Amino acid sequence: MTRNSKASSTVTIQQRILTFVTRSNWVLLAAVSLLGLLAATPTFALGIIFGGLIVTINFHLLAKTLNKALHPQRLASPNVVLIKYYIRFIISGVIIFLLIRQQVVNPIGLFIGLSVVVASITLATLVELKKLFFKEAV
Amino acid sequence: MEAQALQFFIACATAAGFGMAIAAFGCGIGQGIGLRSAVEGIARNPESSGKVTVTLLIGLAMIESLAIYALVVALILIYAHPQAGAIAALFAG
Repeated sequence: MTRNSKASSTVTIQQRILTFVTRSNWVLLAAVSLLGLLAATPTFALGIIFGGLIVTINFHLLAKTLNKALHPQRLASPNVVLIKYYIRFIISGVIIFLLIRQQVVNPIGLFIGLSVVVASITLATLVELKKLFFKEAV
Repeated sequence: MEAQALQFFIACATAAGFGMAIAAFGCGIGQGIGLRSAVEGIARNPESSGKVTVTLLIGLAMIESLAIYALVVALILIYAHPQAGAIAALFAG
């Protein structure tokens, strides 16, 4: 394998993981929310939906910010990046605070919802590992 | 007895404060190290920015979720402790 083809295959793996995580975030959120709505109390389901939405939207905004901040072709101002980062962080913090303070959601449901991104990243890693082992076995 | 209930809630608030502080400290250091390494990598090899950004994004999302977990636990300890009512009743009775 030449150096260039090795580099392009690595880019493909990286892009594949990102695409998988981006899609599986929404799929997992929909699946878990549906499960919560069908099998749990309304506050529990609301916790899952709010938690999942918070982390999924956060992930998309983080991706957008990082793409703007780290691509040498289109570098954004560091101040803009920082301000956007803190605004996003403060908004998520305030929303979580209000949800728990007003007891709108079940805390355990919120935890499950907040784990959507972590679960999809773990899933993406497992899928890539499976592919790697399968490829090596062949 | 009421003093004991008060002590319990003071302990909850203290635990929430220390927990959040420790989580923010650890996550801040983790994110800082990750970001520093990513920026150094891109500065050395600008062509690798795509790969580095994706890896950094996933790493930062994982670390950030830990900070959010800590925030949720801290807020639960202060505002929505599941056994708060039962403990208050126990000490009051």
